Amino acid sequence: MTSDTVRAAPRTPPGTVPEPTPPPPLRRRLGDLPVAVLFVLPAAIGFALFYLWPAVRGAYLSLTRYNVLTPPRFIGLENYEKLFGDRLFWNALKVTAEYVVLNIVSQTVISMLLAVLLYRLTKSMVVRGIVLLPYLVANVVVALVWFWMLDFQLGVVNNVIEWLGFDRVAFFGSDLAIPTIAGINTWRHMGYTALLIFAGLQMIPPSVYEAAAIDGASEWRTFWRVTLPLLRPVMALVMVLSVIGSFQVFDTIAVTTSGGPINATRVIYFYIYDLAFNRFNFGYAAALSSVLFVLLAGIAYVQLRLSRAGESDLRGS
Amino acid sequence: MARVRWGRVAGWAVLVLVMLVTLFPFYWMLRTSFSNTRALAAGAADLLPVDFTLGAYRRVLGLSSTAEAVAEGGSSGTVNFWLYLRNSIVVATITTAGQVFFGALAAYAFARLRWPGRNAVFTLFVTALMVPPIFTTLPNFVLIKELGLLNTFLGIVLPHLLMTPFAVFFLRQFFLGINAGVEEAARIDGAGHVRTFFRIVLPMSRGPIATLAILTYITSWNDYFWPLLVGKAENVRVLTVALGIFRSQTPQGSPDWAGLMAATLFAALPIMALFAVLGRRVIDSIGYTGVK
Amino acid sequence: MKRCLAVAGAAVLLLSGCGAQEEPEQAAAGPVTIDYWLWDTAQQPQYQACADAFHKANPQYTVKITQYGWDDYWNTLTTAFVSGTAPDVFVGHLSRYPELAAQGQILPLDEYVTKDKVDLSIYQDGLADLWVAKDGKRYGLPKDFDTVAVIYNTDLLKKAGIKPEEMAELSWNPQDGGTYEKVIARLTVDKNGKRGDEPGFDKKNVATYGLGLNGSGAGFGQTEWSMYAMSNGWQYGDKNPWPTTFNYADPKFKETIKWFTSLIDKGYMPTMDIVSSGVGQIDAYGAGKYAMVTEGSWNTKTYWNLKGVKSALAPTPIGPTGKRASLFNGLADNISATSDNPDAAWAWVKFLGSPACQEDIVAKEAIVFPAIKTATVKAEQAFKDAGIDVKPFTMHVEQGTTHLAPIAEHWADITATMTETMDAIFSFKADVNSLDQANATVNGLFG
Repeated sequence: MTSDTVRAAPRTPPGTVPEPTPPPPLRRRLGDLPVAVLFVLPAAIGFALFYLWPAVRGAYLSLTRYNVLTPPRFIGLENYEKLFGDRLFWNALKVTAEYVVLNIVSQTVISMLLAVLLYRLTKSMVVRGIVLLPYLVANVVVALVWFWMLDFQLGVVNNVIEWLGFDRVAFFGSDLAIPTIAGINTWRHMGYTALLIFAGLQMIPPSVYEAAAIDGASEWRTFWRVTLPLLRPVMALVMVLSVIGSFQVFDTIAVTTSGGPINATRVIYFYIYDLAFNRFNFGYAAALSSVLFVLLAGIAYVQLRLSRAGESDLRGS
Repeated sequence: MARVRWGRVAGWAVLVLVMLVTLFPFYWMLRTSFSNTRALAAGAADLLPVDFTLGAYRRVLGLSSTAEAVAEGGSSGTVNFWLYLRNSIVVATITTAGQVFFGALAAYAFARLRWPGRNAVFTLFVTALMVPPIFTTLPNFVLIKELGLLNTFLGIVLPHLLMTPFAVFFLRQFFLGINAGVEEAARIDGAGHVRTFFRIVLPMSRGPIATLAILTYITSWNDYFWPLLVGKAENVRVLTVALGIFRSQTPQGSPDWAGLMAATLFAALPIMALFAVLGRRVIDSIGYTGVK
Repeated sequence: MKRCLAVAGAAVLLLSGCGAQEEPEQAAAGPVTIDYWLWDTAQQPQYQACADAFHKANPQYTVKITQYGWDDYWNTLTTAFVSGTAPDVFVGHLSRYPELAAQGQILPLDEYVTKDKVDLSIYQDGLADLWVAKDGKRYGLPKDFDTVAVIYNTDLLKKAGIKPEEMAELSWNPQDGGTYEKVIARLTVDKNGKRGDEPGFDKKNVATYGLGLNGSGAGFGQTEWSMYAMSNGWQYGDKNPWPTTFNYADPKFKETIKWFTSLIDKGYMPTMDIVSSGVGQIDAYGAGKYAMVTEGSWNTKTYWNLKGVKSALAPTPIGPTGKRASLFNGLADNISATSDNPDAAWAWVKFLGSPACQEDIVAKEAIVFPAIKTATVKAEQAFKDAGIDVKPFTMHVEQGTTHLAPIAEHWADITATMTETMDAIFSFKADVNSLDQANATVNGLFG
C-alpha cells in the first residue's frame, strides 16, 4: 500500500453532499430547504443587518460626493474615474501588496511549522498556551510594545544589536517599515493561525498516518503526501482569512508610522481611513473600499477554486 | 532511529526559539509595568524595572489618587476595575455563545444540508469578510442608536451575536471534514436533521467549536472601537474601553507606558485563567473524536 | 420607530424597547445636563473644577464631562454628529472647526456674544480672531494659548561649556546658522566623545544630537521649523486667517528648510529614518539622546516630569528679521448645532471663557496658559512656583513676536500633500525645489 491510496480514497464530487436515501420527488427539488432555512435564519438576519445593508449603502455612497455630515450628492462614476489617475491609490496598492506577500508567507510558513511541531512534539498545555499568548494582546498594544522595543535610540532590540557589534537599525525607516510591520503582525498572529491548523491536524484520523508508516514513507513525504492534502479545507480557510486580514492592516500602521515616511507605509486601508475620517471625503473612500472589496473577492474566489476548499479528501473514508 | 531523534532535537530547538521570541515582549511588558513611566526614558537600556513601583497596577485597579497617578506619569482618570471586568465577561460570554451557536447552525446547513442556492448564499456570506469595517461601523452605529440600544449590553454584542462570516466559514470547513458515515447512520436510524445536529455533529466537533469559542472570546475581549462608540456609559463600559485611558491622550503625546502595560497584562489575565481552567479539557477534546 | 419595523421579527425587537425612544428632551426650564467632551486627561481635573464652580453658580445646570483620548476623539465625534448623539459642547481644534462650521455642525455664537456683551478684549490679542470662520461668524471663545520655545538639558549644556545666558541671545541665519547652529554643533557628541564642532567628529555615529526632531512638520511645522521660517520674514499665506494662496515655494521658506535639513546632513540632528523609528522626541530627550528640542508650551510639564534629566527653557533664536518668532495657537469650545439646550451650552462656554474659570482655576494648575491676559500672569506665577521659568514662552506675547496659526480650508488635504513633500526633502530624496510643485498642488485646492 502506498501513501497514494489515502488520496485515492473514494470521494464525492466537489460541492455535493452524499444523500443517504433516495428522497421523494418534491424533496429532491427542495432538498432540505425547510430545515436549512431554520438553521440559516439567525445568521441571515445578522448578515443582512450588519453586513449586507452597510455594504449596499457603501456601494451607493461610492457614487456620491459625501462628506459624512451633509447628505450625499449623486455624481455617478466620477469617484471611480478619479481613482484611476490617483497616484496615491496605486502606491497604496503596491505597498499593500508588498505587505500582504511578506506577511502571508512568513505567517503561513511559521504557523504551519509551529502547528506540526505542537502536534508531533508535545501535549503540554503550557506550550500551547504560550504560543497563543500574543493573540491575547490587542493589536494596538502589540504595535506600541514593538514600536518601543524597536526604537532606534532607546529600544532594547537596538541596544542588543549594538552590543553585538552591529550598527543600529532604523526598523521603521522607509526601506524596512513594511517588513517590520509584517513581522510584528506575524508575531501576533502566528499562534492563532497555528492553532487553526493544529485543530485541522487533529481532525485527521490516526489511521492514515499508520497506513503511511506501514508504507515506510518518510516524515517529509508523509507531510506532503498525506497531511497537507487532508488539511486542505482548513488551509483554504487560513489562507483566505489571512489574505483578507492582511489587506485590511491598519492599527499597526496608525500607531507606528501613520503611513510615512514618504508614503512608504500608506497601505490602502490607511488611505481609505484618512480620506473618510480626516479629509471627510467619504464618497471617494467608499469608491476605494468598493474596489478593494472586488479585489479581495476575486482573490478569495481564486484561492477557493485553487484549493478546492469545498471538498475534503477525508469524506467517505 | 537516529534520524528521528535528530528531527526531534531540531524540532524542539525551533519550538524553544519561537517561544522565546513570543515571550520576550511579555517580559518587556512586565518589566515596564513595574517601572515608573517618568523614569522609563532615562532607563531605556535597563533590563530590570526602572525605578520599581507598583503604581501602574494601583492605577489600573483604580486604587491611586489623581495626585499619585500624575506623579508617576499616569493620567487622572478613574478606573472601576471590577465593574469593567464584569462587563467584559458579560459581553465576551454572550458574544461567544451567540456567535458559536448561530454560526454552527448556519455552517451545518452549508456543509451538510442540501438545498437550492446553498453555495450562492454561502459565497455571499463569505464575501461579508471583505466588507471593510469602516463601512459597517457608521450604519451599524446609527441602527443601534435607532433601536434605542446605545449604552446597553445588547447594543454592544448585537453586531457580532448572530453571525460573523468567520464563524460560519470556519465551522463549515470543519463540518466538511467530519465523516459523513456517522451522520448517515443516524439518519437511517430515523433521526431528523435537528437531532443529528445536536446529538451527532455538535459533540463530534467539540474541538473546532472549542477553538472557535476561544478565538471568539479573545477577539470579543479585545474589541475596542465599537464598545467605545456604543458603550461609553459606566454601567456597560468594558475593560478595553476603560483602559484606553492609558493610551496617548493628546496629539503627539506619549502613552502612560507603565500603566498601559500593566493594564494589558491585567486585562489578559482573566483570559489566561479561563484558558488554564478550561484549556486542558478544551484542547484535549480537539481531536479526532469521530469514527472508530 | 421606522427602523424598528424594518427589523420586526428579529428577537431584537423584544429586547430593544423601540417605542420608548423618542421622548422629547425636557425644556430648559428644569434641571439641564450639559454633555461636554474633551481629550486631555491632564486638563480634565481643572475643567471638572470649572464645572463644579459653574454648577454652584447655576444650580439648574450640571456639566457631564466625557473624555476620549486624542486617537479616538474625532472619529467618535464624527460618528456622534452623524447619528445625532453629539455632545452639547466639545473642545474644538483649529484644524478641525472650519470644516465643521462649513457644514453647519457647530453653532455661531455671535448673537450670544452681542446679547451678553462679552468683552473680547480681555483675551490675548488675536486669539479671539482664530475662531471667526470664513463666513465671518464666531464659533468659539478662546480658552488657552500656546507658543514655542527651546527646552534644553542643563547637564549637557554645562558639559559643553555653554552658559545659560548665551542661550537667551542666540540668533540664526540661513547661510551659516549663526550662533544657534554653533551651540547645536557644540552640544552634539559622537560615540568617541568628539563634539560636532571639533575636527574628527563622526557624523555617522552620534551619541547625542544637539537638536532633536519630531518629524518633517508637514505644512505646519509648528514646533519643527515655523519659528525659523517666520523669523526669516516668511508667512504661510497671502493673509491669515483664510489665505487664498500659500507660500511654500517662497525662496525664504526654501532657504530656511535647506538650512534646517542641513543640520541632519551635518549630523547635528537625527535623520528621518531615526525619527520615524522612534517612539517620540520626549522619550529620546529623556534618554539624553537630544541635548535640546524645540517644543510647544503645552508639553512643558511633561519635560519637567521626566526623571533623570534636568531642563531649562530658552527662547527661539532671533532670525534675519532681527526678531524672534513663534506660532500663536490655542483651543476653544464649540457648541453642536444639534444641542437640545443651546442656551445652557452657551452659559457653559461663556463660563469656560471667563476669568472665573480661567483665572481662578485653570491658571493655578500650571498646565496651559489661559487665554485671558490677566490670567496669563497668574499662570506664569504658578509655573514659577513649580520651578519653571516660562518667560521664553510668554515673551513672544509681550514682545509681539507671535504669529497667528494658519487657519485655512482644506487643511487635511494640504497636510496630505505637504507631509509627502516635506518627508521627502527631510530624507534627502527630493530637493527643496520640489516645493514648487507641492505649492501649486496646495494652491490648486483653492482654485
